[in-house]
Amino acid sequence: MHPESTKELLINMGPQHPATHGVLRLILEVEGELIKKCVPYIGYLHRGVEKLSEDLTYVQVLPLTDRLDYLSSMINNVGFCIAVEKLMGINVPERAKFIRTIMSEVARICSHLVWIATHALDIGAMTVFLYAMRDREKLLELFELVTGARLTVSYPRVGGVRCDINQEFLDELHKFIEEFPKKVEEYETLIDRNRVWLKRTKGVGVITAEEAINWGLTGPTLRGSGVYYDVRKFFPYDAYDKVDFEVPIGKNGDIYDRYKCRMLEFRQSAKIIKQCIEKLPEGSILAEDAPKIRMPASPLKIDKNDIQFEIYIEDKSTEDFIKKFTEVYASVEAPRGELGFYIVCDDSAKPYRMRVRAPSFVHAGVLPRLCEGALIADVIANIGSIDIVLGECDR
Amino acid sequence: MRLAELIKKILLIEILKGLWLTLRMLFSKPVTIQYPFEKRKVHEGFRGKHALVRDPFLGDDKCIGCMRCTTVCPSRCIYIKREKRENKMVVTDYIIDASRCIYCAYCVEACPVCALVLTEDYEYSSYKRENLIFNKEQLLKNWDEFVKKWQKDYYFNKFWQPPGIDPSRWPKTKREQGPIPIKRVVEIKKENIDESTSS
Repeated sequence: MHPESTKELLINMGPQHPATHGVLRLILEVEGELIKKCVPYIGYLHRGVEKLSEDLTYVQVLPLTDRLDYLSSMINNVGFCIAVEKLMGINVPERAKFIRTIMSEVARICSHLVWIATHALDIGAMTVFLYAMRDREKLLELFELVTGARLTVSYPRVGGVRCDINQEFLDELHKFIEEFPKKVEEYETLIDRNRVWLKRTKGVGVITAEEAINWGLTGPTLRGSGVYYDVRKFFPYDAYDKVDFEVPIGKNGDIYDRYKCRMLEFRQSAKIIKQCIEKLPEGSILAEDAPKIRMPASPLKIDKNDIQFEIYIEDKSTEDFIKKFTEVYASVEAPRGELGFYIVCDDSAKPYRMRVRAPSFVHAGVLPRLCEGALIADVIANIGSIDIVLGECDR
Repeated sequence: MRLAELIKKILLIEILKGLWLTLRMLFSKPVTIQYPFEKRKVHEGFRGKHALVRDPFLGDDKCIGCMRCTTVCPSRCIYIKREKRENKMVVTDYIIDASRCIYCAYCVEACPVCALVLTEDYEYSSYKRENLIFNKEQLLKNWDEFVKKWQKDYYFNKFWQPPGIDPSRWPKTKREQGPIPIKRVVEIKKENIDESTSS
């Protein structure tokens, strides 16, 4: 046997690996414990949402966006709605904007809770997983109370939101938010100063600010490197320009700083929700000039053939709106980064082309840069720290 | 400063703090639910198993075969078979493929006569795919099963008359819909009517 043939080894990590957060497949070329080369393969969860949406009306696309980033489906929905509203020139009522902001932040907390749970579990802290899931359960129940579903909410609607929130929801949420910072402290007691945690995270997976910008990173992954960028601050949507919050930024750009950033975001989200509940105005929850694409309004002729009904196109007002603009890009701050929707429109009630700028997709690209030269154990920590969801990555 | 750090390191202060927290948790109330024996309370308006509303007076479904649900469905899992009999549209079969449904409840919102509903049942997994394709009979049976468990006298789904939309934008038939009385209420009412007519 040739002595050199045993030197390098190809390891196939995933797509069924419990710690790769979904169906991510990494081909690792290792020399001992050291990683020489890392190539991510994606596309195992590809469902063709972008192509599928070309055959559906704008309203019908909305439930599909739930399935992109299934941990924060609310923010996906809001992002899509904002893009369509921009396309049609609809002004959303104040109350709807505040409700959306509340729900977005609840979704952000939910998503970050799953992140801390799985990230800590990957690195080896089981207790945090249980505590985070316990708190997430309460938020999911609140989602169920308002929207009727726990995960795939389909709650916002083009021009507003689907149903109003009631006092019971606000009370429960306020109660939760009051005691939530204490819960975050609990997680921090367990892992913040823990020597195992520090050894696994400090100085691992470092990416400098300049490199992070060049790779197109967004969200907490970018802010961990010390870059001040947040869609909520730079291009405010919904009610984010009416609330006061800070954008936490890190310094070193390693896993620990990204972890710290997200932990601080917990507190900022709680702060935003509190302010929104206090400022929540009265009024309608759906815009007056919202297109009637949501509800078929015109009477139907039954003598037509079954499939040929195009209820939504009969509504001329929608077409008039759409003719004003032909393409639009709108982005929101998802828990993972900047989530953008680019829609090209061709005078019909269906998008001609929809493109989703998924933060997870961009972040999966930076994995080789983070992993090469590190150890195998750090791969798991890196995947956890950039927090990718493969549903969004593959679309 | 250096000494303090050293002491902290040797005495495992941070780890003991964490262990103290977990020890305290031992005496707090458990949040776990023993699922098959003990069930979580489902909130009103939960989007679960499909059902066709059985009209308590006529004993049949309320569907008029307008095809709005089929058109609005993003996953296209609703199939309606209908016939024209004596200048009147009759729905002969109504099929929902629950294995394709994405539970967005658009069909419930679009229905002009409030004939369709997503009930609060969620336990209907099956070993066979055929069992998840609900036809009209099965959908009506689902409704009966759901109503049996319903505690109140009247049922009204929160997506039937979507609260965000101005009522003037609903179809006229949708505006006329009211809460549906449950079977036992109907029977009591019928008895009352009988008594009043006999006496």
